[in-house]
Amino acid sequence: MNTLTRRNFLQSSLLSTAAVLGGPSLAVHAATPPKARVVVIGGGYGGTIAAKYLQMSDPEIRVTLIEKDSAYVSCPLSNEVLGGERDLASLTFDYRGLTRRGIAVMQDTVVEIDPVQHFVTGASGNRYNYDKLIVSPGVDYDWAAIEGMSEAVAEKIPHAWKAGKQTQILRRQLEAMEDGGVFYIVAPPNPFRCPPGPYERAAQVAHYFSTHKPKSKIVILDAKDAFSKQALFQAGWEEHYGDMIEWVSGAQGGIIEAIDPETRTLMGSFEEFKGDVINLIPHQKAGALAQTAGLANESGWCPVDQRTFESSIHKDIHVIGDACIAGAMPKSGYSANSQGKVCAAAIVAAINGEAAPAPSYVNTCYSIIAPEHGISVAGVYRLEDGRIVDIPGAGGVSPADADARTRALEQQFALDWFRNITSDMFT
Amino acid sequence: MPRPTWSRALCVGLLIGTFPSLPLHAEEIRSESMLANTCAGCHGTLGASAGEVMPTIGGLDKGYLVEVLTDYKTGRRPSTIMGRIMLGYGDQEINAIASFYAAQPWVSTDRVAVADQLAEAPALHERYCESCHQDGGRSQDKESPRMAGQWAGYLQYAMQACRDGERCHPRKMRNRVADLSDAEIAALAHFYESQK
Ligand SMILES: Cc1cc2nc3c(=O)[nH]c(=O)nc-3n(C[C@H](O)[C@H](O)[C@H](O)COP(=O)(O)OP(=O)(O)OC[C@H]3O[C@@H](n4cnc5c(N)ncnc54)[C@H](O)[C@@H]3O)c2cc1C
Repeated sequence: MNTLTRRNFLQSSLLSTAAVLGGPSLAVHAATPPKARVVVIGGGYGGTIAAKYLQMSDPEIRVTLIEKDSAYVSCPLSNEVLGGERDLASLTFDYRGLTRRGIAVMQDTVVEIDPVQHFVTGASGNRYNYDKLIVSPGVDYDWAAIEGMSEAVAEKIPHAWKAGKQTQILRRQLEAMEDGGVFYIVAPPNPFRCPPGPYERAAQVAHYFSTHKPKSKIVILDAKDAFSKQALFQAGWEEHYGDMIEWVSGAQGGIIEAIDPETRTLMGSFEEFKGDVINLIPHQKAGALAQTAGLANESGWCPVDQRTFESSIHKDIHVIGDACIAGAMPKSGYSANSQGKVCAAAIVAAINGEAAPAPSYVNTCYSIIAPEHGISVAGVYRLEDGRIVDIPGAGGVSPADADARTRALEQQFALDWFRNITSDMFT
Repeated sequence: MPRPTWSRALCVGLLIGTFPSLPLHAEEIRSESMLANTCAGCHGTLGASAGEVMPTIGGLDKGYLVEVLTDYKTGRRPSTIMGRIMLGYGDQEINAIASFYAAQPWVSTDRVAVADQLAEAPALHERYCESCHQDGGRSQDKESPRMAGQWAGYLQYAMQACRDGERCHPRKMRNRVADLSDAEIAALAHFYESQK
């Protein structure tokens, strides 16, 4: 498309359908031209933070956040919805807090990025010009990796790896399952969003089964031979749920190659598994927009300068959160939060003609194994030769021999983690 | 950006004889806000916590923050996760984080007092706490953090952990809380939470 046709196209879309979430903001109507325009795509764990910290550290920058949905549903704590401990409403947030800060929050789906002319186009037809662009689109799925899987099949065989409707589908299937049934969780290969997630999910569902369907079984069919916080999870499963949870490693035949959704049958490398309920968590890659915009490499993820999160492929476009390749950092909400802040600081520096500051990054992830039993993993990172690396000696997992009080406290901290990280994002 | 080499960093460390207090990795100095903003994911933006056991840290006394963070790092102050995290920072960095949070405005919780939780609290406050935690728990210094407007969940945990011998800061706190019952601790915690 050349510039002329694009301009015509945009003129014809003056009556735009893009909604301004939470009412018009100051920034939209600012009379004086802004120092710079930064557009952030994706209002999740990474994007909200980048937008807010940009606005906080340099209010003269005009910040626009583009999010396709009117509300955000958090994945963290969504396993508790599967366990029946909370509802989705408690995980749902709107963008009014960010609007109040002067960020222009637009409900629109970005369909195209023009890295040369520095603008993005929404499904509404709206065009958003930027000096710097931040992309935090989360993950999408590599459906082809398991034969018989597709987005349509996921309506029946849910992944529940994006919270919302998918979580509800899986919860209803678990509720409808008869006591004595078998629930399969198919866990993906690395790298993927939330490394401890499938194993926390097994614990949460076991918590539900043990009170409602105690004869049922949970089998995790894993593409991997090891997983995050493994020793703590396995000890916790056994302690609280006996032999209800079984883990089959990749080497033991856990790798799933195909599925027949009609008969709910999974084809492994050695055996077939027929389940009453199946949660297939697909192989993952950077969100669709990152793929279409050419920000991902052959790995499916986006290479970036790990100091600034600027794309190694397109100048002035930064990629943060699950979509980016961030050295030793896992794909987690806390990592996305930390990356959003480092990226915002780098962009503020660049706009003000300063060098990118020395970065500091942290990750903290809690998992809830049972109502009074939380565990955690932490990482503290720095940049070394252009790569994010663990600071040796720091971080790590909860001690295996933690006493009851510590475990109960960690469970409370898990909930407080959620309160605070979401207030960091949305207020 | 020029990066001091290892040998230069080493020389500086040897020369001024304060090697342990250099940042853990002397290549680049990380700013106060860069270091401190990583805490906000758990402690709230600018250290104003959204609750409940996670304390508000923005606006606390700098000397207090330095001591507590250092004690987490050395293990002198037992913790679930803070010890593991603080091991990632050098003394200068801890100092920078403390400076950042000490400079933030204190934001009290919006919790109001529930009358029947508090009946005996003012008397307990006067008898056990006021000599250090003056002005309804608003005063603060290196040894006595602000308690007015802090989350009751955290205060309750902190007092219980001290009474039960897990951790006290400073040690003399122990004598003060030693004889308090769970109910009295809860009353005090809610009393301070409701002071703004
Ligand atoms: C079950 C589960 C449990 C988890 N638990 C934890 C936990 O306890 N702790 C933790 O730290 N992490 C946890 N995570 C991981 C966490 O959810 C992700 O790492 C985090 O959401 C990544 O943030 P992000 O910004 O990259 O993506 P997201 O938070 O997914 O945000 C992406 C946003 O971009 C929007 N978007 C995408 N494409 C477009 C487009 N073209 N136009 C406009 N908008 C678009 C999406 O609608 C979405 O709102 C968990 C994940 C799962 C699945």
